[in-house]
Amino acid sequence: MGYKYTAAAFNQLLENLRKKHRVYAPILLKGKGKFSDADLVGYDEIARVEEVVFNQKSYFSPKETFYPITQTLFYFAGDEFKESVVDEKGIIVFLRACDIQAVERLDKIMLENGLSPDYYYERLRKHLKFIVMDCQESFDSCFCVSMGTNTTKNYSASVRYENGLYLSDVKIDIDGLFALYGEQFEVSPQFVETNKQMVQVPQNLNLESVAINPIWEEYGARCIACGRCTVVCPSCSCYTMQDIFYEDNPKCGERRRVWASCHIDGFTDMAGGHSFRRTNGERMRFKVMHKINDFKQRFGVHMCVGCGRCDNACPEYISLAHCIDRLGKEEVGNCG
Amino acid sequence: MVNNNYLPFKAKILDKYQQTELDWTYRLECQIKPIFGQFMEVSLPGVGECPISISDFGEGYIEMTIRTVGQVTEGIEKLNPEDYLYLRGPYGIGFPIESFYNKHLIIATGGTGLAPVKSIINYFYAHPELLKQCDILTGFKTPSDVLFTSDLDKWSQLFRVEVTVDKLDEFGNLEVIPNSCSRKTGLITSLIPEVQLPSLEDVRVVIVGPPIMMRYTAQEFLCRGLKQENIWVSFERKMSCGLGKCGHCKIDETYVCLEGPVFNFTKAQTLLD
Amino acid sequence: MTINTKRVMKNAWRITRDRNLTCLRIRVPGGYLPVKLLPLIQEIAERFGNGAVHITTRQGFEIPGIAFEHMTEINALLTPLIEELEVKIGVTIDQPDQGYPSAGTRNVVACIGNKVCTNAVFDTTALAKDIEKIIYPNNPHVKIAVTGCPNDCVKVHMHDIGILGQVEPLYDAQRCIGCQACINNCHKVSTGALTLVNYKVKRDASRCIGCGECVLKCPTAAWTRGGKYYRVVIMGRTGKKNPRVAATFLEWAEREVVLKLCANLYVYIDKHIDRSLPKEHVGYIVDRTGYPIFKEEMLKNVDLGSKAQLASILNFAGPMYDNHVSFLNT
Repeated sequence: MGYKYTAAAFNQLLENLRKKHRVYAPILLKGKGKFSDADLVGYDEIARVEEVVFNQKSYFSPKETFYPITQTLFYFAGDEFKESVVDEKGIIVFLRACDIQAVERLDKIMLENGLSPDYYYERLRKHLKFIVMDCQESFDSCFCVSMGTNTTKNYSASVRYENGLYLSDVKIDIDGLFALYGEQFEVSPQFVETNKQMVQVPQNLNLESVAINPIWEEYGARCIACGRCTVVCPSCSCYTMQDIFYEDNPKCGERRRVWASCHIDGFTDMAGGHSFRRTNGERMRFKVMHKINDFKQRFGVHMCVGCGRCDNACPEYISLAHCIDRLGKEEVGNCG
Repeated sequence: MVNNNYLPFKAKILDKYQQTELDWTYRLECQIKPIFGQFMEVSLPGVGECPISISDFGEGYIEMTIRTVGQVTEGIEKLNPEDYLYLRGPYGIGFPIESFYNKHLIIATGGTGLAPVKSIINYFYAHPELLKQCDILTGFKTPSDVLFTSDLDKWSQLFRVEVTVDKLDEFGNLEVIPNSCSRKTGLITSLIPEVQLPSLEDVRVVIVGPPIMMRYTAQEFLCRGLKQENIWVSFERKMSCGLGKCGHCKIDETYVCLEGPVFNFTKAQTLLD
Repeated sequence: MTINTKRVMKNAWRITRDRNLTCLRIRVPGGYLPVKLLPLIQEIAERFGNGAVHITTRQGFEIPGIAFEHMTEINALLTPLIEELEVKIGVTIDQPDQGYPSAGTRNVVACIGNKVCTNAVFDTTALAKDIEKIIYPNNPHVKIAVTGCPNDCVKVHMHDIGILGQVEPLYDAQRCIGCQACINNCHKVSTGALTLVNYKVKRDASRCIGCGECVLKCPTAAWTRGGKYYRVVIMGRTGKKNPRVAATFLEWAEREVVLKLCANLYVYIDKHIDRSLPKEHVGYIVDRTGYPIFKEEMLKNVDLGSKAQLASILNFAGPMYDNHVSFLNT
């Protein structure tokens, strides 16, 4: 069912959604860019639809809204383990088709991999509802079409801003509020069908020949192992556990987890000093293979959703899209 | 309601005995029945959590041999009987023990790699009739690193036990190794050409140790004509969960915590870190 | 030939080694020049000079080889340049068609700042222009420079007043993944103000110089930019007596404070300058009056705010040319 909303109507809708949900969207965070006097498009709670940035891609992905960067699992006091409290409010996130596909990738690891779903992921994930933001135009670094992630049907509602109105295709209304505040209108969500860069995605990489490919040495010489590509990635899921005692109360403490990056030193370090993938080139190979080969072998879909955020974030201008394309073209060249 | 798969349970330390300057064995009160070669996530709240292999188990207890090499293990070393550790698990795929029945089992270990296979050796020590033959080849850096000396002595009553040290050190000499074992200096790989293999088809090999040791030891056995599928190894990786979520132990499409830590060598030799 | 050298020099023309030729000095506040003004500079150099310009250390131009007789004509030609670079930014110049009204107070120099540089923590050109508005035209020989970060590419430490940008880093522990990129980098390239405590980062505010390196290195935007502040270093100089690097006078000072200090400096100079000398550099005045008097007069009617830190002493280090060298072969 389609609806149209004036800004005022959509804001009334938001106001009512916010009674039972936290509503997150990409917004302009003034002055929060890396460089001085620079803004950043990132996720935060919104109260008004005018705050939503429709015409830019967010620098960070939406995953932080339901998979926190730092998440406390337990509190310790003496012998007691007390589970961290979960916010029972729903989570509504404005995000793109590729981002929704990325959440489906996170679900594969966090809910399906292993014998049981991840308890802490699941307890927030079950409250998550998607509002897909239409992509009428591709941004520069996008390559979702090549990854097959440019569309989605997995959303509660879609939204786009057009001629002063907000247009929404509602699949699963939230508490009947979309219907309540909207005026019926024929809407179908718009997704891009082509990107400025089309990428040749390799079909079946041979690990042995990939491992000796000289491109990793080249990337290794360029990569500085900062991990930006992984922290902006909507499908990267790795984390590390941290245990602490509070400084001012050493009898109490907590166990928490924080996002981890396979590019950053320490990812494979074991007590005793042994580690794997010491060179940045090996780490690049590991990440790329995970994104466009290993994950698919395990789960049937590529992990990379072609959002291109890693390309935007890399301070050394390393492009994952270009790397994938090189591997894809080499593969075709080798076969042909 | 989904279970909180991160919540550990309390396990009382029943006994603690020193193996070497750095290695201690802890006997913990625990009702679980692990598979040989599995590991558990062991934690000291506020200090940390790490994967540790089960070195032995029995009715109402498990044992772990823990080397003091990091924050968590340093904290554990300070604990004594009646204190508590916190555990999750057991996790992972262990050794296919039944496929070793009626075979010639060779166990080759390097350093603390002896710990994860100790329970297997003890199992077959208790049931020697289940094997055709058993050789234990174990290597350590120096004589003062030798683990489980009384067990080595015990095992050598039934099995051929060879102990080699990379080099002698100022604190120990080969005398610390029970004289019932064959005592040598040199790398463990140097022992393999002399292992008697009366029936190659019957040989099953278990190799556990540092990555390089496992690679070269396996190569030596392959040189002796063993098939890859008759060799098993056990991997050690950084892990934050043991549940297939945290990503640290992933190699290619494989999660060591889920598909390992024990791998058949046909798989292990394809894994590229 | 008869010329009034004092008037000529005050008008930004030079007395040169060639008795018949002068040289025009053009000031470019903050060193940022709209290129539409370049043809005028080219025209003057080609029509009246020797066809070349010298790019000065103070980010201006000197147009050499001009006969004294053309000064009035060229002053008139300069009008659009003075209008654009001075009048338009708010500098009071009564007769812009008669050349520069003074030359003692030198051009305010600035690095390229955050328009281009990733390190710069603020817009240096904008501040340079605001300072120009306060201090120009003026006769005392004063050098002021502005730089975007403690790297001090402009060498503000060789100036009477040097202004270095500082940014207060804000830390959101929840966003921190403990990668330690900020900590390692702060130790390597800055003051080592950061340490890891319980896998999160602690900042020692007393060591932090506000360079913003932590923000640049942070992959998750756990570190972001808070307020902009300024370190004010003073009385650095070159010269024949006692070259020295400027000493910190204030840090974490707000912009308004910086501008007020620039104004107060001229009041102080006017009050204490030795008028028996042809000119006296302000550094030597401070040497004579001492820091307490300087401090009191600089801070007159200045609200330092809650963040600013004021130096208790001026800690100069610099050689005296007449006694610091002992030579091997006497």
